[in-house]
Amino acid sequence: MSTSDDRTPPAEPDATAAPSVPAPPPADPSPPTTRPPVTVPPTSSSPAHGGIVARGVRRSFGAVHAVAGVDLDVRPGAVTALVGPNGSGKTTLLLVLAGLLVPDAGTVSVAGHDPTAGPAARAVTGWMPDSFGTWDSLTAREVLTTVGAAYRLTPEHAEHRAAELLDLVHLRELADSPAHVLSRGQKQRLGLARALVHDPQVLLLDEPASGLDPRSRVDLRELLRELAARGRTVLVSSHVLVELDEMADDAVFISQGRTVAAQEVAAVATQWRPWRLRTLDLDALVRWLEAAHVPWQPEPGAPPVGDFSPPDEVRPARPGGVVVQLDTEATAAALLRDAVGAGVPIASLAPASGALESAYLALEEERR
Amino acid sequence: MSTETQPSSVDPTGSAATSSGPRPHGSTWSVTWHGVRTVARLELRQRVRSTRWIVSLVVFGVLVGLVTTLTWAFTRSMGSDMIYGGMSGVVGPTMFGFIVFFVLFLGLLVSPTLSATAVNGDRNAGTLATLQITLLSATEIVLGKLLASWVASLAFLAVSLPFIAWAFLAGGNNPAAVVVTVLLLAALLAVVCGIGLGFSALTTRTAGSAVLTYVSVASLTVLSLVVFGLSVPLVSGDEEVRVYEADWSSAPDADPETGWGDDPECEWTERTQYVVHTERTWWLLAINPFVVVADAAPPAVNDDNRFVVFDPLAAIREGVRTARQGPPAEYDYCWQEMSSDEQAGITAFDTHDGPPVWPWGLAANLLLGAGGVLLAIRRLQIPYRNLPKGTRVA
Ligand SMILES: Nc1ncnc2c1ncn2[C@@H]1O[C@H](COP(=O)(O)OP(=O)(O)O)[C@@H](O)[C@H]1O
Ligand SMILES: [Mg+2]
Repeated sequence: MSTSDDRTPPAEPDATAAPSVPAPPPADPSPPTTRPPVTVPPTSSSPAHGGIVARGVRRSFGAVHAVAGVDLDVRPGAVTALVGPNGSGKTTLLLVLAGLLVPDAGTVSVAGHDPTAGPAARAVTGWMPDSFGTWDSLTAREVLTTVGAAYRLTPEHAEHRAAELLDLVHLRELADSPAHVLSRGQKQRLGLARALVHDPQVLLLDEPASGLDPRSRVDLRELLRELAARGRTVLVSSHVLVELDEMADDAVFISQGRTVAAQEVAAVATQWRPWRLRTLDLDALVRWLEAAHVPWQPEPGAPPVGDFSPPDEVRPARPGGVVVQLDTEATAAALLRDAVGAGVPIASLAPASGALESAYLALEEERR
Repeated sequence: MSTETQPSSVDPTGSAATSSGPRPHGSTWSVTWHGVRTVARLELRQRVRSTRWIVSLVVFGVLVGLVTTLTWAFTRSMGSDMIYGGMSGVVGPTMFGFIVFFVLFLGLLVSPTLSATAVNGDRNAGTLATLQITLLSATEIVLGKLLASWVASLAFLAVSLPFIAWAFLAGGNNPAAVVVTVLLLAALLAVVCGIGLGFSALTTRTAGSAVLTYVSVASLTVLSLVVFGLSVPLVSGDEEVRVYEADWSSAPDADPETGWGDDPECEWTERTQYVVHTERTWWLLAINPFVVVADAAPPAVNDDNRFVVFDPLAAIREGVRTARQGPPAEYDYCWQEMSSDEQAGITAFDTHDGPPVWPWGLAANLLLGAGGVLLAIRRLQIPYRNLPKGTRVA
C-alpha cells in the first residue's frame, strides 16, 4: 500500500469498486466448483488496494493492435501470472503498467498511482524487461549502486542494498567483475536484482525465468513467493506455463491483446484435464477401463493398444500407460482406489500437464 | 509503503527505501544535481574503461604536438626573414592562431563521436529504458549525457593545453587571448555535444546520427563559407556611389624633367561602381566556430610593429568585421591626403571600427546546441505516446 492510499481513502471510483480477487470472468470456460477460501492478503484491508487495476487498456502501434482491451486486477500479497502466446501483448501491457507507454485508451492504477501521470508510480514499481542490456564495463555491484543512486538512495544505503541483493541472487562471487563476463542467466539475475533495488511495492517481471537454470528458477520462485508473502504485488509474464504453476496464485490469460480469462490457479486445478495413468499390465488396465466405462486415449507416441493381439493367456504382461480426462483430484483418487481394488497393477497417476497449461490449451481450443 | 505492516529485517525487500510516496523527482523537467551527476558518472565510467578512449587521447595529443612543432619551425623561419623583423611579434601570434584552429578542428571532429550515439546507442543496447524507468527525469538523463560528453571533449582540450601554452610562450600574445580562446573552445565543444545529443535522440541508428552531426558541423564551418562566397554575386551590383578622388583632367602638366607633377586636387564626384553588400550575408561567416574564436581573441600585443604581419586570427577578425560593415557610404580614393593622415586611412579598415561579430556567432551556436538538448529531452520523455519507427521500448 502506498502512503497516498492512506491519505485518499475511498476516492478512486473504479479501482475501489473492483473486487480484489480475479475479476468476474465473462469468458470463464467452466466456473470452478470448489474454490478454496480466498486468503485475504495482509495489506489489502482497504478497498483501494495497492495492487494493479487496469480497465479497458488499449495500445496499438500503427496498424498493430498490440493491446486491444485488457482488464486486469492484480492483488497485493499474491503472485499473478500473465499468460499468453508470443505477440499477445504481454510486454506492451507491462510497458503501460511500468509507465513507459501511454495507453491509447483505458485507465491504469499501480499502487494507487496513475503511471501516466508522473513519477509517483515509478517510485514504487520495479520493472524487469524481457530483453535488456547491462552497462557492460560496470561491475555487478556498480550496476546496482548506480540504479540505487538513480532511485535517490543515499550512497551508503545503495551500497548496502547492492550487497544484500547480490547475495540474494547469488552473484556475490561475481560482484566485482564486469557485467560483460556474466552469462545470460546471471545477467537475468542481475536484472532481477536491479528491479528490486528501491524495494518496490509492485513488481513487473517480463519473462524473468528465460535463461535461468533449474536452481535459479527455484530461487526465483521462492523469492517471488516471499515477496508476495510480504504484501508486494507481483505480476509475472511468461509463456512457459509449468514454471508459473507452482509460483502463481492467480492467472490472467491474454490472447491477441485481450484478457480472455482471469482465475485462481487453485481453481484452474479443478478443471477437466488430462491425467496420465501408468501400469505394469497395460492390457489388464485397458480391460478394466472398458468395463468401468472410463473414456481413455492411448499415450501419445505409444504403440496402439490391442494390435495383432495373440490370446491373452500366452502374452506376458507389458507395462504401459493411457491418458484419462478427470475433473478433480477427488475423481482421481476414486479412480485410483477402484483400479487398485480391481487388481490392476497401477504404477502412477499424475496430471499429464500443468494446470495452467491445460487451462491455456482449453482456451485456445475454445477460440478456434 | 506501509512498512509498518511488514517485518523490517527483510531480505528481498530490504529496509524501507527512501523512495516511498509521490515526490517531484523524475517528472520530465525536474533537474537535480544528484541526478545529472549520477548519469554523467555512469557515462564517464564506461568511457574511461574503454581502451579506445586512451588511445584516441594519445593520438590527439601526438597530432597536436606534431602540428605545433611544425608551425613553430615554419613561423620561425618566416619570422627571421621578415623585414619588419620582430620575432616576438610574429612567431607567437601566428603559432597561436594555427594551434588554436587545429585544436578546434580536431575538437569538432572528435566531439560528435562522443555525443552522437549517446541516446540511440543506449537504446539499441537496451540500457536506456532501465535508466528512464528510475526516478531520473528525462532532463537529468540528457543533461548528464551532455555533461559527460562535454567533459570527455574537454579532456581532449586539456591534452592540447600544453601546446597552446607553448604557442603563448613564443611571445607576442595577449594573455587574455589565451583565456578567452580556451573558454570559447570549451563552449563550442559543448555546442557540438548538444547537437550530437539531439540527433542521437532523433534517429534510430547510431550511424545516422553521427552522419547528421558531422553534416551540421560541416555546414557551420565549411558550407557556410562556401555559401557566403557563392552568394557574393547575388548581393552585389553596380551602384551610384559618392567618391572623393583626384580629378586628373584638371591636373597641371607634369614637370617634363622629373616626370613628377603636382597632384590634382581631390573632389567629390558621383560615379557607378561595383559594390558588394556583405552586410547582408556576414552572418554566414559569424556562425562559423572558427570565426567566433578568431574574432573574440583580443588582438596580439604588437607594440614594436605597426602592422600585424601574419596572424591568422587577426586576418579573419578584420575580414569578418569588414564584411559586416558592408560597403562604406562614400569612398575616399584620395591617396594624396593619406600621406598627411596615413593612420586614419588604414584604420578605416581596421578592427577598431567594426563591432565584434562573435557574440552573434556564439549565441547562434549556443542556440543550436540548446535546441539539440531540448529535442533530446522531449524525445526521452516517458511515458511514450509515439515510439520512433522501428524501435521497441524494451
Ligand atoms: N514498438 C512496436 N512497434 C510495432 N509493433 C510492435 C511494437 N511493440 C510490439 N509490437 C507488436 O505488438 C504485438 C504484441 O507484442 P508484445 O507485447 O511484445 O507481445 P508479447 O510480449 O506477448 O510476446 C506484436 O505483434 C508485436 O509485433
Ligand atoms: Mg514479450
